[in-house]
Amino acid sequence: MLRDNTDMDLIDRLVVILSKFVSFVSTTFHLGAGATWPGEIALTLRPHIAASLAKEFQKGVILVVGTNGKTTTSLMLKTILEHVGDVVIHNATGANLLNGVVSSFIRHADFLGRITADVGIFEVDENSLPIVLRYMKPSRIVVLNLFRDQLDRYGEVDVIIEKWEKAFAALPKETQVIINADDPGVAYLGKSVPGTVIYFGVQDKTKFLNVAEHATDSTFCPKCGNRLRYDGIYFSHLGLWTCPACGYTRPVPSVSAWPNPLPGLYNQYNTLAAVAVAGSLSVRDTDIAHALKSFKPAFGRQEEIVMDGRTVKIFLSKNPAGFNASLRTVIEQRGQYFLFALNDRIPDGRDVSWIWDVDFETLPKSVRVTVSGDRVYDMALRLKYAGVDTKRMDIEPNLMMAVTDALARVPKGQTLYVLPTYSAMLDIREILTGKKIL
Amino acid sequence: MNSIRIAWLYPDLMSTYGDRGNVIVLQQRCVWRGIHVQVTPVTLETPVRELEQCNLIFMGGAQDRQQKLAGEDFLKRKGPVVKKMIEHGTPALFVCAAYQFVGAYYKPYQGEPIPGAGIWDLYTVHPGDQAKRCIGNTVAEIITPAELSGTIIVGFENHGGRTHLGPKMQPLAKVIKGYGNNGEDGYEGATYKNTIGCYFHGPLLPKNPKIADWLISKVVGTLAPLDDSLEHSANNILR
Repeated sequence: MLRDNTDMDLIDRLVVILSKFVSFVSTTFHLGAGATWPGEIALTLRPHIAASLAKEFQKGVILVVGTNGKTTTSLMLKTILEHVGDVVIHNATGANLLNGVVSSFIRHADFLGRITADVGIFEVDENSLPIVLRYMKPSRIVVLNLFRDQLDRYGEVDVIIEKWEKAFAALPKETQVIINADDPGVAYLGKSVPGTVIYFGVQDKTKFLNVAEHATDSTFCPKCGNRLRYDGIYFSHLGLWTCPACGYTRPVPSVSAWPNPLPGLYNQYNTLAAVAVAGSLSVRDTDIAHALKSFKPAFGRQEEIVMDGRTVKIFLSKNPAGFNASLRTVIEQRGQYFLFALNDRIPDGRDVSWIWDVDFETLPKSVRVTVSGDRVYDMALRLKYAGVDTKRMDIEPNLMMAVTDALARVPKGQTLYVLPTYSAMLDIREILTGKKIL
Repeated sequence: MNSIRIAWLYPDLMSTYGDRGNVIVLQQRCVWRGIHVQVTPVTLETPVRELEQCNLIFMGGAQDRQQKLAGEDFLKRKGPVVKKMIEHGTPALFVCAAYQFVGAYYKPYQGEPIPGAGIWDLYTVHPGDQAKRCIGNTVAEIITPAELSGTIIVGFENHGGRTHLGPKMQPLAKVIKGYGNNGEDGYEGATYKNTIGCYFHGPLLPKNPKIADWLISKVVGTLAPLDDSLEHSANNILR
């Protein structure tokens, strides 16, 4: 249970200072994982330190959850809030468990153990959200979506929704929850929230899919279990839904229109989410517009790198819904040269079965494809059965060689579209830029 | 007969781990050989007569809630038809949740056993919420059917339940790597007449095309060979 008085006391501050010192030593001497260590230490000494640290932020802590779009949404929100003069702390990549969140607090604390930032924006892992909420009451939670993702690690979508539902019911009235109305399972969570719920969603018939994607997870009524009716689908199970059996229907979104600063419908959702949160913090529309005009994507998320007169665009594609969204965007951009890189390391998920839920059949027959990664043959096989001519496919297990070969085939002035899983994305970035991210 | 009609049972409910891969592989391997092939999605609202017109059956894995939705329909309506078809020699493939589901029952660690369709002589027990889930890459060597004996199959398993075969069933394969049916007897999957079931979940057939061809051959007879070098490479790296 949380203590009643959760302001930082002297011991909390000493713990922060100590953890900060240990983190300083560990990074200086390259011992252990710097991203989560300080948090681990602080939590061991003071299990409830997250609550008091969260209180240090004058405008509160915002948690961002969902399968896809956490990083882009957080970055958009950070850009907007910094534009209006707030000091914002955002957790480092890969540090989205409780210890990672606390580590971010500590890294940004001064040597008196104080945090002087206005807002904390923290991406939180699906399974960790209930744990984080047990230790900390955020001012806002942004719920983007839930798709099947690394089932061997996260478990099934329905199970996650059930856990979140319980955690949300225990939230204090002050916590506002910003929810995607177009995702039925996620929208249903709004019913359990004791405080204010703000819904966002897309309201644009021209963006409807003609053929539904195979990878859908929540197409049955979250309330009564009957099949939902869709008046239109945007992607996966996101759309205008209603239950013909019990009448439960998509909540009317209060935020549904904003110019999308990035290509891809999925980024429209990220934009709407960020705009909804900014609006709830009384940021003016003109300021939001101004801030997003110069928005640059996060690393690996439609990031552009220019190499020797050729453009490389990286679209992190780590689960069926995300991969389908990437494919749709690159096909809209009339991409001709592709590199698909499939790894099966811990951050990617060990199980690569999910590639069969991705609609590779939508790729035009004329594309030139290079395939690589730890599971290069699995990916090549998927593409073969999707109708990609194996003679137009280059299979190169070595990622460095694959990047070099794929680039060599791209004429100057043209673009290589890279669609990698998470760890492959980090490796490819390092190959292209010579810099390591983690 | 040079025509195949595949019944894909509950594609919107029982298709969690890339199960669709099996249907795509069956379909394409027919197309490449000039065999006329049609896939019939059979879900809650589909009338039983659609199912009866098919000559190959596939059913995949599901989340709990979705399986409950499919369960009612399968037990009452589609299951008895599938049973009759299987007894008459229709080839079928059941992976993961479907494999458990065609058996006699599933006993969760709490509460009453959940009845299965009783098509196959096997049952599944969940050993308790402290028991480890069986998760990971798998390798096994086929024992039955005889035509496939010795074939090395690879895949991924992710199941909590432990399955035990009754006397009418033959184990599909001997486990080389992984847990298999129950983590105890060293066997993986089961066969009965022209049907195969296993815990190798989702896309079993892409990396194990011999099983795909065995199922197809049960409908159309001897098959022309295909270039499976990519399939072999994908199979080999997991051994």
